[in-house]
Order: sequence, then C-alpha cells, then structure tokens
Amino acid sequence: MHIVANINDLRAYYITEAYGVRRTVKAVDGLSIAIRQNEIYGIAGESGCGKSTLLKVLLGMLTPPLTIVGGSVTYNFEGEPVDMASLSQAELRAMRWKELSYVPQGSMHVLNPVRRIRDTFRDFIGAHVRAPRREIDERVRAYLVELGLPDKVLGSFPHQLSGGMRQRVTIALATILSPRLIVADEPTTALDVVVQRGVIQLLQEIRERAGNTMVVVTHDMGVHANLTDRVAVLYAGQLMEEADTPTIFAQPRHPYTQHLIRSLPKIDDRSERVSIPGRPPALDNPPGGCRFHPRCPYAMEVCKTEVPLIEQVGPNHRVACWLINEERMGRIAARLANAEPRPLATDTQLTPQRPSPGGARSAGGPEGAIR
Amino acid sequence: MDLLKTYILPRLLQWLVVIVIGVTITFTIPRLLPGDPVEQTLRRVTANTAIDPRAMESFQNAIRDMYGLQGSPVEQYFRFWGRLFQGDLGPSLGAFPTPVTTIIANGLPWTIGLLGTSILISWTLGILLGTLAAYYPNKLWSQTLDKILIVIYPVPYFILSLLLVMAFAYYLPIFPLVGGATGRPGFTLAYIGSILRHAFLPALSLVLLGTSFRFLIAKALAGRVIASSYVSYAELAAVPTPRIIGRYVLRNSLLPQVTDLALSLGALFNGALITEVVFSYPGIGFQLYTAILQADFNLIMGVTIFSIIGIATAVLIADLIYPLLDPRVRYQ
Repeated sequence: MHIVANINDLRAYYITEAYGVRRTVKAVDGLSIAIRQNEIYGIAGESGCGKSTLLKVLLGMLTPPLTIVGGSVTYNFEGEPVDMASLSQAELRAMRWKELSYVPQGSMHVLNPVRRIRDTFRDFIGAHVRAPRREIDERVRAYLVELGLPDKVLGSFPHQLSGGMRQRVTIALATILSPRLIVADEPTTALDVVVQRGVIQLLQEIRERAGNTMVVVTHDMGVHANLTDRVAVLYAGQLMEEADTPTIFAQPRHPYTQHLIRSLPKIDDRSERVSIPGRPPALDNPPGGCRFHPRCPYAMEVCKTEVPLIEQVGPNHRVACWLINEERMGRIAARLANAEPRPLATDTQLTPQRPSPGGARSAGGPEGAIR
Repeated sequence: MDLLKTYILPRLLQWLVVIVIGVTITFTIPRLLPGDPVEQTLRRVTANTAIDPRAMESFQNAIRDMYGLQGSPVEQYFRFWGRLFQGDLGPSLGAFPTPVTTIIANGLPWTIGLLGTSILISWTLGILLGTLAAYYPNKLWSQTLDKILIVIYPVPYFILSLLLVMAFAYYLPIFPLVGGATGRPGFTLAYIGSILRHAFLPALSLVLLGTSFRFLIAKALAGRVIASSYVSYAELAAVPTPRIIGRYVLRNSLLPQVTDLALSLGALFNGALITEVVFSYPGIGFQLYTAILQADFNLIMGVTIFSIIGIATAVLIADLIYPLLDPRVRYQ
C-alpha cells in the first residue's frame, strides 16, 4: 500500500526561553504513523494532546518556538519520497495548496472580511497557478458547481454567508487545486449537527472525486465514526491506539479509547455517560511511565514507571498499554512453559523476562516489541 | 434605495443637527459673558470726551445695529441665522469694518495649503511605514524607525517647532523666519518657490509629529490584523507577501485611519494655531490668535462656525465613505 506521509518517531517540542528559564513542552513525543494513499485518517484526543502540533508539523509550519527535536516526516506524493526537514521555506510554500493543503477549524474566520469570495479564490489560486483571471474565475465556478455550492457566493462577502456555507467555501478554497494530502483541523467544530453532516459529506465527496488523502483532526468521536477510515488516538503527545475505524469502535483495547467511545451517546442506551476523571497532563512535565496512568482506572504499578510498548493486536490494530503487554507476555510465558515442560526451570527462566514493577524492562520475548 | 434610507439620510440629518447645535452654542456663549460689547466700544470711543446724551443714544443704536445686537435675543438669533445663510458673519471688531468672511478668506488658502499638504503626507507616510513595521517587526530598519518615532511623538509640539525655528531659521538661516511668502503674488516660479521655502519648516514640524503619531497607531492596528486567522491562512497558502500586506493587512486596518484623516482635514478650518503662531504663518490659526487677543467676538465666532461646519462635514464624508471600504457596514 502506498504511503503518502510517513511520520517516524517524531518529537516536536515547543522550546521557549524567557528570563533565562528554559521551558520545553513536549507536544508530540515519539509518534510513528503512516498515512496511506486515498484514506481518511482520523486523529482523536482531548485538547492538549498534541493534535494541532502534529498538524503544524505535517504542514511544515515550523515557526519558533515549535522545533523538531527528533524523528522525521517524509512525504511521498509522486515519485521519490521527500524528507520535510530537507525542504526550504520556499519549497514548502510551493508545495502548499498544490500537493499539501489545509482546511482550518470551522469556527475560524479565515476569509478576508473585506474581499469578495471571488477575490479570495483569485488570490489563493493566483499564488500557485499562472493563468488569466477569466480562466481562474471559470475554474472556480466550475468547481463550486461540481461540489454543489451555489456560484452566487462568489460575489458575496464572508459575513453574508452562513457559518456552514463559509466552511464549505473554505473547503473548496483548500481543495480546488486537487492537493494530494489535505489536512483538516476540526473541520466541523462550531457548526450545528445538520451542517456538520453536509461538511462531512463534502469532504468524502472530494476524496472520492480527486482521489486524495485526508488527515482529519477532531476531538469529536462521532465525526470519526462517520468520516474516517482509520483512527489514531493520541494522548499527551503519544499514540495510545490505532485501528480501522470499525475496529476501534467495536473493540477498543486501550482504556483511554474505551473512555472516549463510552462518552458518546447511543440511541436506546439511557445509562449515564461517564467522563474520564481529571484532565490531560501539562506537557512540560508529563507523568512518567504511561502518560495516561494518573487517570486510568486499571493503572498498575508498572504503568507509573515504564512506558508501555506499542503492540500489534490485530491487522492494522496497534495499542500501547501495559494491560495488553502483560497479557501478551503471559501468553508467551505460557507457550514457553508448554514447549519446555520443566516445572522447576520455568520460573528461573522466565522471571527476568516478565516486567517487574520498578525493575529493568526486558524486550518481553521475541514478539513483544513490534515497531 | 435602502442604503439611502437606512444609512445616508440619518447621517445627513445628524450632520444638520450637529451644525445647528454648534452654531447655537457659538451664538449663546458671547451673550452670556459679562459686559456688553456695545458699551465697551462706546467707552473706548468716547473715553475722554463729553457727548450730548441724545447723540450718545443714536451712536449707541448705530453700533448696536452694526453689531446686529438690536431686539430681543430670540430676534437676534433668527437674524443671525438669516445673515449666516447669506454668508455674512458681520464685521470684524478688531479690524472694523472689514467683514469677517474677508479676513477668513485671506487666511484660509495659507492654512489649507500648509495643513492639507502636511496632513496628507503624514497620513500616507505614517500608515505605510507603520503597517510595514508591524509586518516586519524583527527587521533592523523597522526597529530603528520605531525607536526614533517613539522618541519624537511625546515631544510637546511647541518645543519641537521652536527647536526647528531656532536651528534652521535662526542659527542656520536656511529658511525664512516669518510669513507665508515674499514677492509679488502670481504664478511665477519665484513666488511659488518662496511659498514652498516659507512653508517648509512648519510643514516639516507637522509632518514629523503627524507621522510619528500615525505610525504608532497604524502599527498597533496592523498588528491586530496580522494576528487574525485570515492573514495567517493566506500566508500559509503562500499568497504573495505584497498582496497580503496591501489587500489583507492594510485594507483591514484602514477603517479607523479614514476617520482620523477626515477629522484631521475637518479640523483644518481651525487652523494650526501653535504652528502658525510659532512660524508667524498668515493662516486662520494666526488670525484666531489675534482675534482672541483683541476680543474680536465676531471673528472668533466666524472661525468657530467654520470649524464646526468643517468637522461635521468631514465626519459626514467619512461616514459616507465607510461603506465603500467595509462591506460589513454596507449590509448592516
């Protein structure tokens, strides 16, 4: 399967220094994901879990204090893979909108209030395509009609459009040059539910029409359920779980994911929605071990000190949780015990491999650490 | 049509009301002051002479008539308006019997030429520099400019202008010290050159101060626009920088500046009192100053009425231009 963007062990920190005090906010800390061609990849998590930072890095918006401390982002649109770190600002600018585009939050006012929509389209397209104004206008009109938007919006000012229409116009503005990868940040936030549905359908339609790839960031699990093909759940800058969307909703393995999904209302279910107690940690001083452990109802001793391994639990399904690690190690231990039925030796052989609270962590057997 | 009814007409009405109230106040205040101008004039004229009481009375009536002060205050008020509509502001009391309108007409071209030009220059310069400095806050030139103008701005105007006069008219006599021009008026190169030479220092003082003021305002306004999401989105989309500065930043921060320009141009009819006094420039401000010293009520009233009408009209024009600049106002 073709990988459009590969994020490998990415560490993106906000490093600030004021009055001699250096402060490091580890917004994304050791994240590896691969975005496949023509999929809609969802990124979920509460506010302050690194979603927006990941977006900025994906778009190459690396303005201080945001710094990439480690890892890499590699694009592979057509032909050879390109490492983002090797691109100059000018090259990144040239790539944007043609290959890499951005749909901002629905609540943001990203359209210039004193310019007509037509002029904004001319500005944005004219920056990347050399064409006579008439040609650009014609192209915009055709695209809007294709997406089912009324072309009379072109003569309007942003404030004359409804919030939903503004967001759809913005999506058209971001996608008209058929970029290979579209990054959307909370595209449906601040819109009412009916309009949200329209926006979701519009995004799906664009993907089907142009065959491009989308990364959609939202905290709204309902949007993920309706829009995305795969979902990554982030917490405190790290990957907690990743799976195909149906899998993650049917069999969430990580306690955090389970909580996120359980907070969604369901028809016919009148039980009270439980929210996760507490809030995401401050990322300048995250908790040790598993970063979710202070809020996790199943937290064990090991969770407080050791970072869980990311483990493959099914096709396309990865989880980073000690519950899964331990279960897996238990199975391995059992298998080893069955293979060599020497009751006395079993204990001495396996003890060092079983992670003990506070002790040094071993690789956990041959299959223990995948990726 | 709707625009006319909901936007233009109310503003025209407002303009009218402001002028009527302003003129009424201008009419009332001198009449509430202690002392009767007629008595004062009589006393001045007849200080050391004895006059027949009947001759005195007819003299009194003649002056009262000339000053427009006969009849009850209400009658006077309506006669005042009637004269105003005919463009008659009465005679100057200081330079009797020259009409106030003639005196103002003599001063106005000088003031308009000097103030109008320097306001336009400092407005354009201040906004352009301020916007650019806001967009490039880390460049050396913008920081230098910022520091220089921030030092100039709080200097009291009369000190700045006196310094200029002392430096460039007295110690280094490059520019003339007094007046608007020398030589015979006419469209000759020499006369126009003389006008420019005389206007240079006062204009420089006004431009320096006006530019630094507008620079600081423009920088603050543009800074707010630059932080808005439509500017960062356009930047992200790699829209060319000149276009972002012109059509996004400048265009959106221009609105309050237009009001400022209109008010400055409206205040033109006040004259630049301090400028014209310091540089002995023959404009309206200088005349107003002389009128105040001579207790020339008619001339003071004349200049005041001019400036009331000027500012009210300027605000009206600014209001009428607003919808052209900001579509959000147009469709409210």
